[in-house]
Amino acid sequence: MPESAAPARIRKRITPYQIAQIVIGLGFLAFVAWRLYEVLVVEHTYGPDTWLKFAISGLIVGSVYALITIGYTLVYAILRMINFAHSEVFMVGAFAGFFVFEALKSLPVGTGGHPFIEVYPIPSIILGFAAGIVTSMVTGVALERIAYRPLRGAPRLVPLISAVGASIFLQNAAQLMFGPQRRTFVNLPALDRNLGWTLTVGGKPVLITYTGVFTFILAIVLLVSLYLIVQRTRLGRAMRAVSENKQTAALMGIDVDSVISQTFAISGVLAGAAGVMWGIHYGQIHAYVGFIPGIKAFTAAVLGGIGNIPGAMLGAMTLGLIESLGPGGLGMDFQLKDVIAFSILVLVLIFRPSGILGEVLSEEKL
Amino acid sequence: MIASDIRQGLRTGMLLAIVVVFLFLIGATSTLADILAGALKLGRAVSLQTVLALLALWLGSQAAKVSIEEKRPRWINTLLRAAVAGLSAGLVIGLTTLVFLRLHESGINLRTYLYQLSPDSLDLWSLGRSAQGAAVFHFLLPLVGCLLGAVLARGFREAPWRSATGRRVGALRESITRPLATAARTRWGRILLYAALGAVLILLPLRLNNYWNFTLGTVGIYVLMGLGLNIVVGLAGLLDLGYVVFFAVGSYTIGLLTAPTPHHLMWDFWIVLPIAIFLAAIIGVLLGIPVLRLRGDYLAIVTLGFGEIIRVLLKAEALSSFSNGPRGIPSIGQPAFFGLPFNSSADFMYMIIFSVLLVIFLTNRLQNSRVGRAWIAIREDETVARAMGINTLTSKLLAFGIGAAFAGLGGVLFASRSQFTGPDDFNLMVSINVLAVVIVGGMGSIPGVIAGAFVLKGLPEVLRELDAYRILSFGALLVAMMVLRPEGLIPSTRRRLEMQQARAAVSPPATPVSPPGPGGTA
Repeated sequence: MPESAAPARIRKRITPYQIAQIVIGLGFLAFVAWRLYEVLVVEHTYGPDTWLKFAISGLIVGSVYALITIGYTLVYAILRMINFAHSEVFMVGAFAGFFVFEALKSLPVGTGGHPFIEVYPIPSIILGFAAGIVTSMVTGVALERIAYRPLRGAPRLVPLISAVGASIFLQNAAQLMFGPQRRTFVNLPALDRNLGWTLTVGGKPVLITYTGVFTFILAIVLLVSLYLIVQRTRLGRAMRAVSENKQTAALMGIDVDSVISQTFAISGVLAGAAGVMWGIHYGQIHAYVGFIPGIKAFTAAVLGGIGNIPGAMLGAMTLGLIESLGPGGLGMDFQLKDVIAFSILVLVLIFRPSGILGEVLSEEKL
Repeated sequence: MIASDIRQGLRTGMLLAIVVVFLFLIGATSTLADILAGALKLGRAVSLQTVLALLALWLGSQAAKVSIEEKRPRWINTLLRAAVAGLSAGLVIGLTTLVFLRLHESGINLRTYLYQLSPDSLDLWSLGRSAQGAAVFHFLLPLVGCLLGAVLARGFREAPWRSATGRRVGALRESITRPLATAARTRWGRILLYAALGAVLILLPLRLNNYWNFTLGTVGIYVLMGLGLNIVVGLAGLLDLGYVVFFAVGSYTIGLLTAPTPHHLMWDFWIVLPIAIFLAAIIGVLLGIPVLRLRGDYLAIVTLGFGEIIRVLLKAEALSSFSNGPRGIPSIGQPAFFGLPFNSSADFMYMIIFSVLLVIFLTNRLQNSRVGRAWIAIREDETVARAMGINTLTSKLLAFGIGAAFAGLGGVLFASRSQFTGPDDFNLMVSINVLAVVIVGGMGSIPGVIAGAFVLKGLPEVLRELDAYRILSFGALLVAMMVLRPEGLIPSTRRRLEMQQARAAVSPPATPVSPPGPGGTA
């Protein structure tokens, strides 16, 4: 009898960890409930039009995060490493787009001598995105060849440090080359970032910018095509196989190195597109522009369950919405939106470390 | 054979071209030329040519490097490889030169887009020639340099006196180091060594001027924090990217309690010191409780999040009545010793030296204690450690708390020394710097951490001319270290063996027919 009773008693004992969980969870819920009550019921700080504005900007920033997040998640799924330099891949793409747009702006076309960017607005956008995507792709692949491939099989800290080093290197190289000042992105004739459709909500206008809609739709298209690549193509199958087990995949005739390179290339494509979108929509870039979106995107990857592609998209959208609605909803300073985003990350990791959609990884997979 | 020569030559050439164009774009070529011009009393143009020629020579010798599979390549192969390398590099560099100088000549201010391409640096790059002339020169220089480098390298490698010289140098070095090592192992030798070290540490702060005391003090503070993080990362194997939190806790505790603004408390330094250290340790444990269940990468990113949260919170205007917001805390209290002010750079140097010695002593005792061995067991395999009866949560919390306490001490010294602290002192780079100190030095190794702090925080101060490229080369150094010597400068024995094992496991299979990837031979 005592033998069978003992395990049950052990299982019932509340660990200090659970106490911490309960205290933190209740404290957080009480805080959120109190602030929401203050903002929504007592003070009526914002009208419905403002809430709609917050939600729209959340969806847009979420869609940009989603593109970067995919890069983290894909690389994590395959190499089980945090590609810390991914935010710089994003930054490099933004700069490539910036330079192409600048060049097209000063390039006269035809007899009138009008700039290329005004005569051919749509090809200009395509060229800008192509430049950003190609540059980011090349950067991503080169990064893997130089900084990560020689370290495969080393203890987990080693590639992470190398990634941190590569990130610092790229940031500073960009700052030295392009200067420390902020650069204003060209305001494209076809996609003016100050224009858009106007909705009337509660008697007040809400501007939905063309660039915002464009960013959101393009991001969704890219995400869907990525999902199809991973689920339906030969390369996608190879990627999934490598992420399950490299040795076995190699024995099945998959060229592991080439699959890893292509994964970095795909991550680079998405990050480059995100970089150009960022420039077009937000209008300003600088050498450290990738840092905050990069950390946020990683947070989103963890939030959704790292290594899981639909999870990454969901996590990024959730994070974008939380950080744009959060400061308003809790009646806090907008400077604190990063704090809210990271607090969400900490809470998710305390209560559901595998993320929203993540599977529970077994120890062998580490 | 020829195809592989061309391929290898192209690869080397592209490498040279990328390096040169990159250095040109970040303005490093001008800086290097200036340094050389200053050192050797040469003209700037001559110095620039020397720098470029040296680069080309080095790459040429690389192109001539005998790869393992070919035992004795013929001269024609070596020359072909060098020629291809030189040609390809020359073409890229020459074309780049032509494009940039043409744009410059047509009156476009390149500086608007590429920050380092000032008219001055472009004039230097053109070497007083026209665009075409400079392009031809920059095309020919790598070509000649590569060929010459290859011939020299090949000749040097096959020279009969080379191995004899190498042996002689080795013997000479041995004859100096061997007796010293033996002497250091005897009891009296060790006492003498420690006495000499002690004398140096006592006399050094007096002999140095303020600048060097400050610089070495910073190195010392990084040694303190490095040793603290070494316990967390190196011994317990918990990757903490938010170590700056505890540094900030230490700094802000001393700031808020001893400064006139914002709270007008102005307590004594010596009372606040233990409070700050204790508070940092408590915060370490409190932050540790919810997150230490997480696996490596998650822990890294959560701690990174904590680091960002603390910076944003300290910077927030909303909390400025408590923390003074973005303005920071000025005129922080400094220590006094029985009424005497104790606040010159030299005094702080003594305090830092004392703290470092204390922390070294503590770390040394800790890592060989029961707790220390528990940490190492957790790092190696957490499941097994728990099965052996180690309370992993308590041990990890202890590691976090002790590491945090060291950082708190570092923060106190840092803030009190500069009499100011503000939110911008606590960015992610601090955490990364400390982590780099631990990793570059050698995880889990006390001499390693000290060496790492000197290399990463001391060396850049010596190379002040290259200040603009400090952080850039820091990043490159991290990557290079990880690729070439991941165990660190002075690794602990255990770590070195682990790394060698890991490397043996991933080394490519001997025959090309065996399956790719890490094989089952490990």
